Amino acid sequence: MASLKRLETEFPILDPDFQSFCALRGIFTVQDFLIRDLQSLVADAEQQPSSERFMQAINQVLYVIDGLHQPWLNGVDLMEDAQKNKHVLSTGCEGMDFLLRGGLRRGQVTELAGPSSSGKTQFCLLTASTVAYKHMGGVIYIDTGNSFSAKRIARFLNQISCPASEEMQPRVLQEVMNSILCHSVYDIFSMFDVLHCLESKLKYQMCRGDNDERLIIIDSISSLITPILGSSGSQGRALMVSAMSLLKKLAHEYNLAVLVTNHTVGGDGGIPKPALGESWKTLPHVRLLLSRDCGSNTYQVSLLKHPSIASGKAAKFIIND
Amino acid sequence: MEVGRLPISAALKGKLVSAGYTSLSLLSSLSPSHLARDLNISENEALDILNHAPHDGRIDTSGGHHIISGAQTAWDMLHEEELLTRITTSSVDIDNILGGGISCREVTEIGGVPGIGKTQLGIQLAVNVQLPVHCGGLGGKAIYIDTEGSFMVERVLQIAEACWDDMLANNAISQNVHAGQVGMQPKDFLENILYFRVCSYTEQIALINYLDKFISEHRDVKIVVVDSITFHFRQDFEDMALRTRLLSGMALKLMKLAKKFCLAVVLLNQVTTKYAEGSFHLTLALGDSWSHACTNRIILYWNGNERYAYIDKSPSLRSASAPYAVTARGIRNNVSNCKRIKLM
Repeated sequence: MASLKRLETEFPILDPDFQSFCALRGIFTVQDFLIRDLQSLVADAEQQPSSERFMQAINQVLYVIDGLHQPWLNGVDLMEDAQKNKHVLSTGCEGMDFLLRGGLRRGQVTELAGPSSSGKTQFCLLTASTVAYKHMGGVIYIDTGNSFSAKRIARFLNQISCPASEEMQPRVLQEVMNSILCHSVYDIFSMFDVLHCLESKLKYQMCRGDNDERLIIIDSISSLITPILGSSGSQGRALMVSAMSLLKKLAHEYNLAVLVTNHTVGGDGGIPKPALGESWKTLPHVRLLLSRDCGSNTYQVSLLKHPSIASGKAAKFIIND
Repeated sequence: MEVGRLPISAALKGKLVSAGYTSLSLLSSLSPSHLARDLNISENEALDILNHAPHDGRIDTSGGHHIISGAQTAWDMLHEEELLTRITTSSVDIDNILGGGISCREVTEIGGVPGIGKTQLGIQLAVNVQLPVHCGGLGGKAIYIDTEGSFMVERVLQIAEACWDDMLANNAISQNVHAGQVGMQPKDFLENILYFRVCSYTEQIALINYLDKFISEHRDVKIVVVDSITFHFRQDFEDMALRTRLLSGMALKLMKLAKKFCLAVVLLNQVTTKYAEGSFHLTLALGDSWSHACTNRIILYWNGNERYAYIDKSPSLRSASAPYAVTARGIRNNVSNCKRIKLM
């Protein structure tokens, strides 16, 4: 959305004559161009002495505008994309896979909310191990609480690959663990930096055709958003929405599954509800609420929101030590 | 709009958008003076904005090495974790359930009812961190942030003397040290504890902001103990939303300190009652939103007449409890049922 003056360097047809023609009608930027009535502008241009050049210039601006939005897709294109690219990633946890009909879907953002020590980090580590091992994919783990434990990942990988409690071969273990990348971020702007770099890297890999990233995990996104949410002005909420829209864009364009965790706060009657407020509720595609039976390894998860499964279903699962 | 993601003030963001700079790519090849003229701001502010805008040349796209700056693979972290030493708590049972002791690079929260021994444990850790590595410490200094005024110097001296006696006894038995090598007198332990007294929540936040610079100048600090983190936030806070924001910001800064300088952060917390599932029970203070701000959580509780420590939250340790006792010599194992003399 640049001003016409700036476009002149790239498209010399938008010469100062055209700019003063537009300025007389109050058009200085491409945005003004979109607001004005195009037909009356064209009619005016035809009455000018250099009408040919003006028509070409108007077409040039329209061409620039057309290049700025995503291409139109129809239902058939979307279906093909879903079948070819948007597969389901198993989480390694049978109860969760059963509830989600296969696991985390690529192209969707899944939120896992739960009170403290209810197993969110354990589930994230288990999913990271499973995706790295079974799907041979890259995992980006963004950690905000220093809770990424490589030892736990190694234990999960040993469990997944050799259930008879043998040790995995070190070479295989190294290869799988090298595909899990961990970033520590402590504020939301660092997270934007990381996602920005990731986007450039994925764009580059997409051109070369060797894209193997499968999953982004952010544990936990609520600790990045809580310090900025709710102060005077809506900056915090704007940043939250902006972060989610970037994650959704990455998920859709590069066929990644995204898993974010959230904590809970007290709701009506003492029942915990997910934090981050009302405007957060609409942002993730899938929302899950996790709880743990006191002191045991049994977890209960219920589905709060899903685009294609009825909400309210629940499942139990166990994560072994 | 992408300029919404820059860490600059809302007024500057508004000026950028109204001048037509809605995406970051438009800023990439601009000079500060040009930007300053367009937005009608000073050159310094324009330079500041341009420094925040990411440059395309930051990632290394040459060849196959596509690691984004700052990332580590899980394999490297596994090796690093194996090399990390831990700080002993002087009680072998607690060390066992903690996998060796309090670990660095993590924030550990310890909570319990008044009188259970939280301050004692904090003082014990501040003394133990100064022990050499083969005795269970890290050979470093300690920062003790006191918000309640419960730090008693005479008690620290008592614990330090007991620690020094144990160290001498150990070294005499293992026969691998000359008389002069032990070197430290009990008073030296006191010299290596850096003490801050905090009297209000603004002082506490200011101190935690200042710690980054302080620890860069005192690189041998290996543990930060905050006793207690909740005291100034529990009373007289009318604006709960502000309290939540301040606490979560503080939690992130402490996490960043722990990771950046590879030290242990220990936060001592108080308890409160919560009504849930038809009964009252004790939980740690400051609510649910604070409860996710630590990496590990240990709860100290009474079981009959004995003190127990229970691991409530940890990414890699199993839930377990261990008994301990608070003695004149500091935190030690609970020997009431044990008829054998344990070697420390």
